[in-house]
Amino acid sequence: MNLEGYRMYLITVHGGLTDEKSRDLQRFVRQCEGFILMVTRAGPIVALDEGRYSLVAGHPLVELMGPVELNPRGFAAQQLQSIMAENLSKQVEIVEPVGGDPAPTS
Amino acid sequence: MGLGATVGADLLAVPFPKMVFDLARAIANGQTALDRASVSTLRVLANTEFDYIPEITEVIAPGPVDTVSGVPVTGVDVTTRPGRTLPLSLLQAGLTPSFYQFTESVIEVKMSISSKVSTQSEFEFGVSVEANAGFLFASATVSSHVDYRTSNTYSYSAEGSSLLRTTLKPVPPPARIMPRFITVNTLVSPPQVTFSE
Repeated sequence: MNLEGYRMYLITVHGGLTDEKSRDLQRFVRQCEGFILMVTRAGPIVALDEGRYSLVAGHPLVELMGPVELNPRGFAAQQLQSIMAENLSKQVEIVEPVGGDPAPTS
Repeated sequence: MGLGATVGADLLAVPFPKMVFDLARAIANGQTALDRASVSTLRVLANTEFDYIPEITEVIAPGPVDTVSGVPVTGVDVTTRPGRTLPLSLLQAGLTPSFYQFTESVIEVKMSISSKVSTQSEFEFGVSVEANAGFLFASATVSSHVDYRTSNTYSYSAEGSSLLRTTLKPVPPPARIMPRFITVNTLVSPPQVTFSE
């Protein structure tokens, strides 16, 4: 799977985040071949192909969907990166092809 | 009006200034919308706080020894004590909004003008001679005809297409929008002040 066009987005939802809204949104992001990196009080932080931005941003639950990035000088940047990497690893399956290097697929 | 003048008029008819203006206005509107979205994201990141626990202390101490079938299996107590929680915003923690900028814009106008002039002429000349001769008279008639036919055909067509292409690239956030973090470390003497953005 090619992750070249993937970017990180923070999504906030209309009327505040609830467990149900969070689940619905996460399912929709997964349907759009996105990945859930972490969930904050404001909403989930996801990795999504740029081409599918409009699709997710147009979801009725979405209030704001803004591109974000990691600031390595942040106070907890390393911890954030670890959390995101761990969550991503649970959603990406590593398949080792015969006679070649492992290739990530979803 | 000559053909050259027609082509020139058609080229001049391309609304180039309007196209440039429309593109510039679309870019300006797009840039404003993008900046607004980034600033809104920045606001959310700055207002979303969580409790960050930078340290967890684990104290290992001797404890009672349990035995299973006469074999000691433990003998320590581990006490876990989380350190003081630190309220942090997502912005402080290390998430920043992405900012985009239109870096390059191209307007490409293609025109295909073709003109064709064809002239066709037909010329026909004919002579007919008739002569009669008798005993007391002789006569002759000569008749001729000239036909000249000419036709000019003009065809002219102009086709145009235009392409507007613009490039959008992520850029570092504007310095005046992002807050500067001033850290005062009072654990050392004298206190150490560091600035970071």
